[in-house]
Amino acid sequence: MNAGGGRPGRLARHSPNGEWVLIVVLLAEAAVFGWAHPRFLSWENTFEIARLAAETGLLAFGLTAVIKTGGIDLSVGSMMGLAAVALGGSWSLGLPVGAAVFLALLLGAAGGALHGLLVTRLRVPPLIATLGTFSLYRGLAEALTGGYTSYTGFPAGFLALGQAYLFGWLPAQLLIAGAVFLALWVLLHRTVFGRELAVIGHNAAGARFAGVRVGAVTLRAYVICGVCAALAGVIYVARIGQAKADAGLGYELTAIAAVVLGGASINGGRGTLHGTLLGLLCLIVLQNGLRLAGQPSEIAGLLTGAVLIAAIAAAQVLFRRSVRPVAADASVSENPEEFTMKNHQLALLIAAILGGAALIAVSNLFLARSVVEAGASIQTATHAAVAAAPGGAATVPPPPPQARRVVALTPKAKADPYFVSCKQGADAAAAELGVDLLWDSPTDPDPAKQTEVVEAWITRGVDVIAASCASPEALSSVLRKARARGIGVISWDADAKADARQFFVNQATAEGIGTTLADEGARLAGGSGRYAIVTASLTDANQNEWIKFIQARMAAAHPGMALATIQPSDGQRDKAMTETRNIVRAYPDVKVIIAVAAPAVPGAAEALKQENRRDVKLTGLSVPSLCKAYVHEDWIQSIVLWNTQDLGYLTVRAAVAVADGSLAPGATSFSAGRLGTLRVEGDQILLGKPFVFNAGNIDDFDF
Amino acid sequence: MKDWVKKHPREAALLGAIAVLFLLPLGGVDGFYTAGNLRNLAIDNLPVLLAAAGMTVVIVAGQIDISIGSQFVAGGIAAGLLARSGLPMPAVALATLGLGALFGAANGLLVTVARIPAIIATLATMVLLRNGVLRATGGDWIQGLPSGFQWFGLAPASAPLVYLAGAGLVFAAAAWALRHTTAGRAFYAVGCDHEASRRVGLNPERRVVAAFAVLGVATAAAALLNYTRYPTIETNGGLGFELKVIAAVVVGGTAITGGRGSLIGTFLGVILLGSIGTVFTFLHVNPAWEKAIQGAILLVAVVADTAFGRRREGTSP
Amino acid sequence: MLSLRHIAKTYPGARALRGVELELRAGEVHALLGENGAGKSTLIKIASGVVAPDPGAEIRLGGEQVTDATPRRMQELGLAVVYQNPTLFSELSVAENLCLGEDGPVISWRARAERARASLARVGADFDVERPAGGLRMAEKQLLEIARALSRRARVLILDEPTASLAQGDADRLLDLVEKLRAEGVAILYITHRLEEVLRIADRFTVLRDGAWIGVYPRAEVDRARLIRLMAGRELAELFPKAGAELGEVALETRGLGHGPSGLRDISLTVRRGEILGLAGLVGAGRTELARVLFGLAPATEGEILVGGRPARIREVGDALALGLAYVPEDRKEHGVVEALPLVENISLAVLRRLGGVWLDETAEEKLATGLAARLGVKAASIHVAAGTLSGGNQQKVALARWLATEPRVLILDEPTQGIDVGAKAEIHRLMGQLVREGLAIILISSELPELLGLADRIAVLRGGRLAGVLPAGEATREAVLHLAMEGAET
Repeated sequence: MNAGGGRPGRLARHSPNGEWVLIVVLLAEAAVFGWAHPRFLSWENTFEIARLAAETGLLAFGLTAVIKTGGIDLSVGSMMGLAAVALGGSWSLGLPVGAAVFLALLLGAAGGALHGLLVTRLRVPPLIATLGTFSLYRGLAEALTGGYTSYTGFPAGFLALGQAYLFGWLPAQLLIAGAVFLALWVLLHRTVFGRELAVIGHNAAGARFAGVRVGAVTLRAYVICGVCAALAGVIYVARIGQAKADAGLGYELTAIAAVVLGGASINGGRGTLHGTLLGLLCLIVLQNGLRLAGQPSEIAGLLTGAVLIAAIAAAQVLFRRSVRPVAADASVSENPEEFTMKNHQLALLIAAILGGAALIAVSNLFLARSVVEAGASIQTATHAAVAAAPGGAATVPPPPPQARRVVALTPKAKADPYFVSCKQGADAAAAELGVDLLWDSPTDPDPAKQTEVVEAWITRGVDVIAASCASPEALSSVLRKARARGIGVISWDADAKADARQFFVNQATAEGIGTTLADEGARLAGGSGRYAIVTASLTDANQNEWIKFIQARMAAAHPGMALATIQPSDGQRDKAMTETRNIVRAYPDVKVIIAVAAPAVPGAAEALKQENRRDVKLTGLSVPSLCKAYVHEDWIQSIVLWNTQDLGYLTVRAAVAVADGSLAPGATSFSAGRLGTLRVEGDQILLGKPFVFNAGNIDDFDF
Repeated sequence: MKDWVKKHPREAALLGAIAVLFLLPLGGVDGFYTAGNLRNLAIDNLPVLLAAAGMTVVIVAGQIDISIGSQFVAGGIAAGLLARSGLPMPAVALATLGLGALFGAANGLLVTVARIPAIIATLATMVLLRNGVLRATGGDWIQGLPSGFQWFGLAPASAPLVYLAGAGLVFAAAAWALRHTTAGRAFYAVGCDHEASRRVGLNPERRVVAAFAVLGVATAAAALLNYTRYPTIETNGGLGFELKVIAAVVVGGTAITGGRGSLIGTFLGVILLGSIGTVFTFLHVNPAWEKAIQGAILLVAVVADTAFGRRREGTSP
Repeated sequence: MLSLRHIAKTYPGARALRGVELELRAGEVHALLGENGAGKSTLIKIASGVVAPDPGAEIRLGGEQVTDATPRRMQELGLAVVYQNPTLFSELSVAENLCLGEDGPVISWRARAERARASLARVGADFDVERPAGGLRMAEKQLLEIARALSRRARVLILDEPTASLAQGDADRLLDLVEKLRAEGVAILYITHRLEEVLRIADRFTVLRDGAWIGVYPRAEVDRARLIRLMAGRELAELFPKAGAELGEVALETRGLGHGPSGLRDISLTVRRGEILGLAGLVGAGRTELARVLFGLAPATEGEILVGGRPARIREVGDALALGLAYVPEDRKEHGVVEALPLVENISLAVLRRLGGVWLDETAEEKLATGLAARLGVKAASIHVAAGTLSGGNQQKVALARWLATEPRVLILDEPTQGIDVGAKAEIHRLMGQLVREGLAIILISSELPELLGLADRIAVLRGGRLAGVLPAGEATREAVLHLAMEGAET
């Protein structure tokens, strides 16, 4: 604080919580990543970063208002899901899309008002109130859609909200988020309302004694937050082109982290909206930069956690002044000099942390050094192509032959054992062909986050992208963009829309999987009886597709089979075991269980084993290595799958062939290294039929 | 009886709710009331129960920990790797519990020494641990465990009963200790008023670290009980575990502001929230509704609590 | 018993204490006096081990040299501190509050209850030991704190402003207890701003000023005036100046006013422009509750309020504000100011909408705050420093400034001089005189009888939520007010 007794300086006024340090952090990030990867600093990438930050940003902006009052809203991610379902549902019922959007926003306001009432009238602690609605909103969204309904086919005018570029360069959602930011900034920092929010956060009782209508003001903060969350949900739907109950899953944590990193105190009072923006950018840029550098997302996660701890700890320790209680007659007010000094210390400390973070990043970069160079070398070429045909379809510029090709594969969820075993084959093919393999995706299937991974690859300028799509609608728009930028695109494992990719490496169609599973189930049941399905989560697109075909096949070919129930395992073995035990007890006449997620099959097997139910048969879709022991003990009669290693291997082979032009439309066969020559039907490369593993043959496979 | 209800309105309401929930399957659903099913129900909820006991201590001490889902899976993986390296199971268990204590203490130190609000500190460690686990395992399940790993080598038929008895004893001991020992009451004092507890000679920082460490150990114990039910270890487990645990503790009447709560309440909260899914399956209710109903129960519980709370406070302004 | 020698404490950039000596004997009541900021709190913190003194200090307790003073250690050596705001665990029971940390590793709740009842009996209290301590009255909390200290075999008892939040009757009982403890041989260090109290009970006086040790004086050598001189370092004008303002029309009137939940019943009062109406009564008699009703914090459930002769509907603070009412609350730290905010934002808080509508007008805010801070003589480096960094007296001035900014017609002051030093107190009294001369009506709630008797034109006495009587200045004496305020003394 200034000694002179006048106004505090500009810096202190606009960055009362040391927000300026975040600018330093951002610059440092830009320097490190810009050095590692020249394209990082392009306008294109800058807008891409902003585009992907829009939804989380909206959540964070709304949350800033709530956190300033000393509250919190954990339910913002769930509200995105509920708003998405409301939007999709009301639109599919015939409401004009504008009215549906309005309805979704209204729902957001209502949800916010509910929080406000719970917190102000009923005095429920905000953390608990919104923990309840966190489950409630997501649960309602799932219940209303049964989990699986997803609404697609929205009009182009609406999709433009999340996909269009104004003037060819300004993403539409950036405009919306920017407008919300400005409006909220004015509201928070230039109006009486904003001041009152801060006063309430510092001392709600004191605010009430000063005539502030604490209840009404707090309630409005929650309403603002709810509307922002609903708006984020709307943009999410527009961006990925489908409305489903799982929209915004897990978004609340990034948003809260951004607000807190931005200098807001979780105890209320302190915080600025521009601080939140800077905090958000620090996190998003870190993610984006590491992705461009080809680093897996865990590294970004680890650094996010580290930066969060370091920054908040530094701020807490050095700004202790604001948390230290002032004793009753302690007139020993702290020296102003001390305060400024501490500010400098803070800067130093954060710089040190950043240095550390940069070191980690750089040391990782050295490993990927060759990748970086390859990326850089083709960058100019692609740039030229994009400049020549903005927005249009550019032709693939032949990459310089001396550079190693960069092949980027995205599985749906990289922690899934199924994909883990695919990766082994992919690695083998990459080694054979001498190409660099990028392998990344969210930990759990999340179309929006998967889209972000692909976006980063586009900016980075990889040679070819192969995607296993968590949602065809969501991934197709970004894959089209990749094609337009001259990047080879194929899909594998789970197809995109036909126009969004050049080839699909088809391990088995959903219909093929469903049919085989249904046939296996019927065979194990002896032709008739009841069967139950254990799925991943109720919202999982692939599983829902397979289940659809299982039911269709049962109805058509096995009329004696009747479905008892479908229970979710959330992709967790623990839950699969619990649900299976419940199924065999609650539906005692179930003869066969079909588990359609890799961890669910061993989970169900363990359940049957512990229940000692030899009479219930089990089949499903899983990885042999996880099931081998159970198959030998005859708890699992069979699993249906293809050779996952071969799938990964073939995908990389096909991707490289597409990139160098040796595999072009019209081909009827494809020579795939150790797999021999495979058939190509139209734009599909066929791996072969789904394979049934059983006690007789499972030992022949080691994946 | 009437006195007890008056003194413990939350526990009474929970008992009522549990009674209603457990009456539902009587309406013509077979198989719910069998020893086997009730044993399954109990054993499935054991991990949540143990972690909830630890979480009660942390929340009573005025803190919160949202990193226990990550701690849970990290504990399971650590136990698996140690067992695979040939360590005997008792040593594996001890080492895992010790690791849990370390995780907890680390959170505690972030909160006390680095002065990071608990929710933020544990948000960061949640992200760190989860990504660290993924980085370390690459998503591969831990396989090839020694045969003595599953059920600690006990007979599969009797092992669940041993687990139940063991965990029940530990929980009862914890409930007693939290109410009847000086060390237990210190958590209440610290959660009630940090500064005042310093003035009566407690060291609140140390107590907070201890509370987190207790939770870390409890979570590690939960992981042990959970993952030794299988012959392999999944590396993506424990997602959403923290929310389940916190919800059960809060429904059980522990005040999120600290200083108030009991393990009896937590016990009832775990039973209520942990049984809904199974009861619904037996009632053949669509599982899509489960999450919404759990959220609604949590809300009703806390709203009822504040309504009760205000009536008890009476006329105080 | 307790001896502190060569005590100094330097905070970064500021010296809080230098060369302080304090010697406390068994069986004596020793008063520690000084204005706010004189260093009393720091000294207590050093004595109780919360804060470490600068090197060179010598602390002896019970004849033992203490080098590693921690709160725990000092407690074990028999020192206990009772703070102004009792540091009780509101969620925990009375018994637990009394016995916390005194049991072995395992607790017997039955034994605890018995010990608790015995401890309470020693301070002459008798309440349910199972109740949560948060539900006790302030006076009961003080007794509980003292009982707790005694139950720990405290031989040295430090009482920090124990009567600051007590009404006269409760305060008198507390002083009786202090005298009883002295007779039992306890060494008592008594800190207060109420000179009457220490002049009544203290044996010796230690005075601090600006962190420096002024001296120690036996009772025989001091009187009220000398103590004030020693504390202030200067002569002070008459303590309670009568305003002598002209009375105008009735500014505020209540008819049969009541508030069910807080037990307030049938209050009919008037206050005129230019008048200071004193509000007396024991704690819990309904004084603060009446203020809360008038200010819309707890809307009336019966009766009516007339402002300027017109019936007024006051359902929330905003209504009261619009009618020209202002309320400077009792709890300065919690309600009076927002400690984390700068002075300027504290002062402008209630009038933000008048300054700029829905928009903030920072220039106008600064102008307003600068003017009022100067008028009230707020001592601060700048209007941009956080209110929490100011001394109690200056904080109170800031709270007052906030309400003067609303240009009120009726000003309700709830314990405006509680716990603030003599100099600031006199300034606030002077200001009150000036305000009534300008035509304001003031309702003054105070537990310090001399202040009420000295300043008020009339004194309304409440008892048990009802109006026990109104005394004009001429008839108001200490005895008359207490007579009305005490239970069982029907008029």
